[in-house]
Amino acid sequence: MESRDRYKARFQSLQEAKQGAFMPFTVLGWPDEETSFRIIKTMIDSGASALELGIAFSDPVADGPIIQAAAHKVIENGFTVKQALELVARVRKYDADVPMGLLVYYNHIMAMGVEKFFEKAGECGVDGVLVADLPAESSDEVLSAGTVNGISTIFIVSPLTREERLAKIVEHASGFIYLVSRLGVTGTDERNADRDSRLTALIASIKKATPLPVLAGFGISTPAHAEKMMASGADGVITGSKIVDLVAKADPAKMESELSSYLKQMVAALNLVKV
Amino acid sequence: MRTLGKFGRYGGVYVPETLMPALEELEEAFATIVPGDAFKTRLASLLTDYAGRPTPLYHAKNLSDKWGAQVFLKREDLLHGGAHKTNNALGQALLSKMMGKERIIAETGAGQHGVACAMSGALLGLKTEVYMGEVDMERQKPNVYRMQLLGTTVHPVKTGSRTLKDAINEALRDWIANLENTHYLLGTVAGPHPFPSMVKHFQRIIGEEASAQIQEKTGRQPDYVVACVGGGSNAIGIFAEFIDKTSVQLVGVEPAGKGLDTDKHGAVLALGSFGCVHGMKSLVLQTEEGQIQEAHSISAGLDYPSVGPEHAFLKDTGRARYESATDEEALSAFHELCREEGIIPALESSHALFIGKKLAQGEAAGKSIVINLSGRGDKDLHEVMKHGK
Repeated sequence: MESRDRYKARFQSLQEAKQGAFMPFTVLGWPDEETSFRIIKTMIDSGASALELGIAFSDPVADGPIIQAAAHKVIENGFTVKQALELVARVRKYDADVPMGLLVYYNHIMAMGVEKFFEKAGECGVDGVLVADLPAESSDEVLSAGTVNGISTIFIVSPLTREERLAKIVEHASGFIYLVSRLGVTGTDERNADRDSRLTALIASIKKATPLPVLAGFGISTPAHAEKMMASGADGVITGSKIVDLVAKADPAKMESELSSYLKQMVAALNLVKV
Repeated sequence: MRTLGKFGRYGGVYVPETLMPALEELEEAFATIVPGDAFKTRLASLLTDYAGRPTPLYHAKNLSDKWGAQVFLKREDLLHGGAHKTNNALGQALLSKMMGKERIIAETGAGQHGVACAMSGALLGLKTEVYMGEVDMERQKPNVYRMQLLGTTVHPVKTGSRTLKDAINEALRDWIANLENTHYLLGTVAGPHPFPSMVKHFQRIIGEEASAQIQEKTGRQPDYVVACVGGGSNAIGIFAEFIDKTSVQLVGVEPAGKGLDTDKHGAVLALGSFGCVHGMKSLVLQTEEGQIQEAHSISAGLDYPSVGPEHAFLKDTGRARYESATDEEALSAFHELCREEGIIPALESSHALFIGKKLAQGEAAGKSIVINLSGRGDKDLHEVMKHGK
């Protein structure tokens, strides 16, 4: 199956079942290679619709303290980008169908070379790449490499993205739209009810511009948040910091069961609500 | 955006989408407000009456006699605040005021840019918050206290190397969360477009004055212009006016720290590779896989693992050349200026002084050399005393 089809296939079956997508995130290699694989395996086994996997970068400006700390730990452990991609390949062997996206900072792609990075990612079974610090106007540099290797290029839309920018973004985007649902960096801090109330209009305008599914991330950590996003018209949610925080605080012996019970609550919340 | 602010293959806009509305707004304001009469008149008056421009171009006769060339010092150390940083801070603070922002945030390494922002914020009634690495707060304590006196909140940055690069990361994160009411007053010619061009615009007054002043004093343009380079704002500031005057040799001086053959240096132009950090493409100190490495310099203001994109471009085109001075060499030049001319220079500027001396005693014997004395050294007394002498 061409890799881009995994997103399409998964989103389509969710659509038919009237279910929302749940896309958990973690940092590859955190807290160590083996535990990282177990975390990802737990995500798949608990019903994740798709995965978003981060490559640890030394200077992650889009990330809040929880994911920063995880990234720094991975680098400190000497876990490399090459090992991160090998870990992705191992996950692909475990599950042939789950869509997998990489969240990466551009310097890692430049260091390997754009063509080579996408080629290698494709070989490892990656379906999408979101470059955290590559806005639409600079994205020409990766678009053709994405197309050549059948990898979707995921882009972010924020509450402050104006209409003409939105048009430019959806022109380049494939896979899904990553909606940053609140201003700021990744994290689990309180949401602003007033701002959330404006998301319905924002999601409607994205949907008018593109048929791609819209997944909401940033500050989504509870089933109530997930329900709120679905009620606003999103097709699913992405949760990262909460997961990293939960695993960091869990008793290592019970980590998988605690993580699994959290993930299942999120999946259940998303299964209920789609109209 | 109107343009992507490229310098050859360097520069550009490489930031999260969440920051793009702020950069678009800033680029628009830079293109429309800054060239306007209201802005120009107000900034010119602030620079003259508040900050003390023009700064002198001082013919350092004792050094000239000793070194064997005509040495001129551009006295940015005499600018209000004690460094060239005030030029840019006043310009951007005034711009943010006219854009209707209520709050400015900034990163600082040596603390000079933080102090310049604190002064500008106090003057213009803008709430000011500065991010500073914990390591830098320790080695530049007086500047931390100065900022606090001026009403600024200083946030210690405890992530990564706890120096300038991490302070920039934190400031960017703050901006992403608060861009509607906040301007990020970036202190150097780095970062995403429009910062490299905008900071250059506010710093080019250094070179404009120096060019006119040396013409007045000697009847001609200088043979050499020398400036230290961390992010590179004082160097771009003094180079800008001379870039088209091809008879003038432009020499930037990077921190060689404990030596280029060690891993404790900040010589990005000499030893860095092509990469992307802090919103721009430039030369970067990094691992083979693209993790950004820590820079080292005795002077916190030069301790940066990348460099302004225009410097990388000037190096590639050969219009400027880049030398380096070690911590020890900078210290020796620091002491020499103190004793020969009665001027205490910043450790940053001392790097430029050292290479100025080397040039004077070599290829530039008998020629005229303008050295940008980008700041004064009061903030460095603690650091210098640690090294004895």
